[in-house]
Amino acid sequence: MAVVTPLDHIRNFSIIAHIDHGKSTLADRILERTGTVAPRDMKEQLLDKMDLERERGITIKSQAVRIAYAARDGQTYQLNLIDTPGHVDFTYEVSRSLAACEGAVLLVDATQGVEAQTVANAYLAVDNDLEIIPVLNKIDLPASDVPEAEMELHELTGATHDEILTISAKTGEGVDEVLEAVVQRTPPPEGDPTAPPRALIFDSEYDQYRGVIAYVRVVDGHFDRRQLVTLMSTGQGAEIEELGSFGPGMTPAERLETGEVGYIITGVKDVAQVRVGDTITDRRRPAGEALPGYKVVHPMVFTGLFPTEGDKFEELRDALEKLKLNDAALLYEPESSVALGFGFRCGFLGLLHMDIVRERLEREYGLELITTMPNVEYHAHLTGGGMAVVRNPAQMPEANSIERVEEPYVTASILVPSQFVGTIMELCQGRRADFVDMKYLSPERVEMHYRLPLAEIVLDFFDQLKTRTRGYASLDYDYSGYRASDLVKLDVLLAGEPVDALSLIIPRESAHQRGKALVTKLRQKIPRQLFEVPVQAAIGNKVVARETVKAVRKDVTAKCYGGDISRKRKLLEKQKEGKKRMKQLGVVEVPQEAFLAVLELEPGAKGR
Amino acid sequence: MHGGETPRPPFDGPVRHVYVHVPFCRARCDYCAFASVAVGGGGSATDVPRLFDAYVEGVAAEWERERAAHDVRRLRTLYLGGGTPSLLGPDRLERLLTVFRPHLTPQAEVTVEVNPEDAGTEFAAWAAGARRSPGSGALRGVRISLGVQSFLPELRAALGRTAQADPRAAFDRLRAAGVASIGLDLIHGIPGQTPELLAGDIATVLDLRPDHVSWYELDVAEGTALARRLAHAEGTAGGGRRAAPVAAPADDVRAAGYRRLVRALSRAGYDWYEVSNFARPGHKARHNLACWRARPYLGLGPGAVSTVGARRWTNSADPRAWAAALAAGRRPTRSVEELDDATRARERLLLAARCGEPVPLEAVSAVVDPDALAASAGAGLVSVRGGTLRVTRKGRHVADGLCVRLFRAPRLRG
Repeated sequence: MAVVTPLDHIRNFSIIAHIDHGKSTLADRILERTGTVAPRDMKEQLLDKMDLERERGITIKSQAVRIAYAARDGQTYQLNLIDTPGHVDFTYEVSRSLAACEGAVLLVDATQGVEAQTVANAYLAVDNDLEIIPVLNKIDLPASDVPEAEMELHELTGATHDEILTISAKTGEGVDEVLEAVVQRTPPPEGDPTAPPRALIFDSEYDQYRGVIAYVRVVDGHFDRRQLVTLMSTGQGAEIEELGSFGPGMTPAERLETGEVGYIITGVKDVAQVRVGDTITDRRRPAGEALPGYKVVHPMVFTGLFPTEGDKFEELRDALEKLKLNDAALLYEPESSVALGFGFRCGFLGLLHMDIVRERLEREYGLELITTMPNVEYHAHLTGGGMAVVRNPAQMPEANSIERVEEPYVTASILVPSQFVGTIMELCQGRRADFVDMKYLSPERVEMHYRLPLAEIVLDFFDQLKTRTRGYASLDYDYSGYRASDLVKLDVLLAGEPVDALSLIIPRESAHQRGKALVTKLRQKIPRQLFEVPVQAAIGNKVVARETVKAVRKDVTAKCYGGDISRKRKLLEKQKEGKKRMKQLGVVEVPQEAFLAVLELEPGAKGR
Repeated sequence: MHGGETPRPPFDGPVRHVYVHVPFCRARCDYCAFASVAVGGGGSATDVPRLFDAYVEGVAAEWERERAAHDVRRLRTLYLGGGTPSLLGPDRLERLLTVFRPHLTPQAEVTVEVNPEDAGTEFAAWAAGARRSPGSGALRGVRISLGVQSFLPELRAALGRTAQADPRAAFDRLRAAGVASIGLDLIHGIPGQTPELLAGDIATVLDLRPDHVSWYELDVAEGTALARRLAHAEGTAGGGRRAAPVAAPADDVRAAGYRRLVRALSRAGYDWYEVSNFARPGHKARHNLACWRARPYLGLGPGAVSTVGARRWTNSADPRAWAAALAAGRRPTRSVEELDDATRARERLLLAARCGEPVPLEAVSAVVDPDALAASAGAGLVSVRGGTLRVTRKGRHVADGLCVRLFRAPRLRG
């Protein structure tokens, strides 16, 4: 029988940081120093299980690990470290992971200082009433500027010099102090062990043999194996088949006590039934109220995914179905394009989420995909009343039937060295952004707030931001509702035929300029064809820009006798095989990259 | 009269065309990727006559063997190519022809490839009267294909052609002797061949008015001496140490030169009937046309390729190995390729595309993507009329790309 840890010996905490500030390294070091992982099992980014996470140095799924820590006060504490995704696409998941904690180590790279995600995550932590332990990392690097970073941290959290820890996760210096601070400063869980049980689902994972594995924090009461439970948002009933803690790796137990972090498997097969943020309670003695903060996240960014080979449609559907098992936020609905055939319109939380899904489809399922230009969800209010939800620009209703079009806006927070303030203002002006306010974190660093259309961010705002500030700016944003904009649909015609997959919704004011840039880019992306191909951009029936892809002048070998015939035929067959990555649009062959050509445009850019 | 023939599968039917490969050359040209053996000054070395004689024997043996193995009818065409067939000399050529003479139709076309240095008076006289029609005994000459490459000695030198006989004089001798059908073989895209120099060759051709012109773009095949020299030229551009290697003209210069010669010859009354071939009325090379129409043909001699029905095979390229196999009663086959229906249909299409020959749609519909066909027809690259597909002159310029386009995407299973 496992020894029950008293509530006041449990500490639930998470590490929050901007990307590359050393979160995974610190987690690795903590696991090592507490002996949670045997040295021979140690590998980098231990908590990041997916290959993609390791390769990209990012965390996509939350993970948790239980650590037994013998503190300097002679007591042994149960620490539950919850590793969270750090990206804006997964803000909701982060907020639920933080809701499962009482404390957060706010990790800042002393060579970089506070970044936009540091701020965003710090606010999330404050929103969830977490005790923040500010930590400066990478002090072993010569480029670290501890006093400057300290000042920024003070500005952000109000922490004093004595409260800010300075460490090197790489060398291990100061890591023990972090563990001590977690024990000393993080409050123990406050739940009521006798109340009807409640557990917060802060992430979930699909296992093909066992169904959905819910990552939970028990808030009140306790859960036992074989207990009958209910998921409060849906009323879905289930029986707990297995529960336990993360050691790391699932370690089955008989019971999860108040305040503990662990997992629950119920045999439910659908990850959408076990949503992040939902509350699990006892079926016979249900809690009166669910835990606060549950919401269903909605995709913000949409794109068409089409197999390059038409007959791979079923495979794509199967692959999406499998990914969806583990990703409740992923949305997909069949779509048919005149140009690209059958595919899916997919909804994502953001661009990173989109990238990850696409990459997994290609890598894990061996699919070759054409991705159309990502877009946001537009609301077209019709003159006859009613509203059309437009997730695919080609489906925008006729201009004369639209009363107004609304698009999603975000409030963006941009952190930047003060010398770039002018640059940012200039960039934002070209992106339909409204200035909100700005605040100096220190004489050298400024936090600027803008309200701008999400569509601008989806385009290439972040790249531009990075480029123009030599990588110093960081960005975070928060959805802030729909607003009306003067938008038009820009169509692209190849050889006189509209290509639905290339349609865009853009601000009227920049339609000519972007139309021009787009056809120029397409002309460059489309190789010479067997005949001349006009490339046109049009609004309605009005052509606003035109370019021409020239015809190949000669493409035939001089000799074809005897054995040449086999050689020639094989060569042509091979070339045909090579054309699979080209999409046939009417009479024109278009390489896949052309469908993303628009991403390479620079609306409003005035030189770099 | 293709219109009256019933469509039949490509390469099916009785054999009526024979190609004989003569694998000997004085010296190997720098661009040559054919099976050939350099034999120096043509018959002077002691073992060369024996080699030539053995070769003629071998062809006779192979012919007998193949004639028995296939449904071979009276031959409509016989083509002696190489290599350098004229290197054998009139006597041996006559012996070779004697082997086939009883098997030719009265109107059969017999072609011999000749190099200018071999086209002396004696040869010209033989060529003019070599073919006795079996019925009447009347004299009919062979068709000559004269290997000019370029009229400019420096461009021939750039190709590594060391013999410096004047092709113009050779042409005049053949004409004077009464050879009724003379074709010239030329090359464009030669390193150092400027548009002006090409214009000079075009002018000479128009002046001579040969009956037939084959004008090939230089193909720098991998592994040839020319390929090595051009690679060297690129590596040392601007600072060549020896004999200043010259790079080949740029792609667009070659393409422009090609269009120019097509235009000039067409204007002068030549029918541009294949990518690289032009003929005055009545002088199309019927042998090559038969191959391009996917008629079955036998190839004899070292390295020769045959295609009959669903099978294509290639002879051993080494004359000694080839002769030894035949002497031992074996076929000298080196490799065999089985052609399935789809492959044959694709070849039919790719060959027809090169000559603008009409093809019954039903013969190729299994391998043609209907959407691509419609698009290509809309763009004027092919015309489809009365169940027949024909690649237009415009389409011929891009025949390779067009075929890639027209072929149905390969279906990969599993």
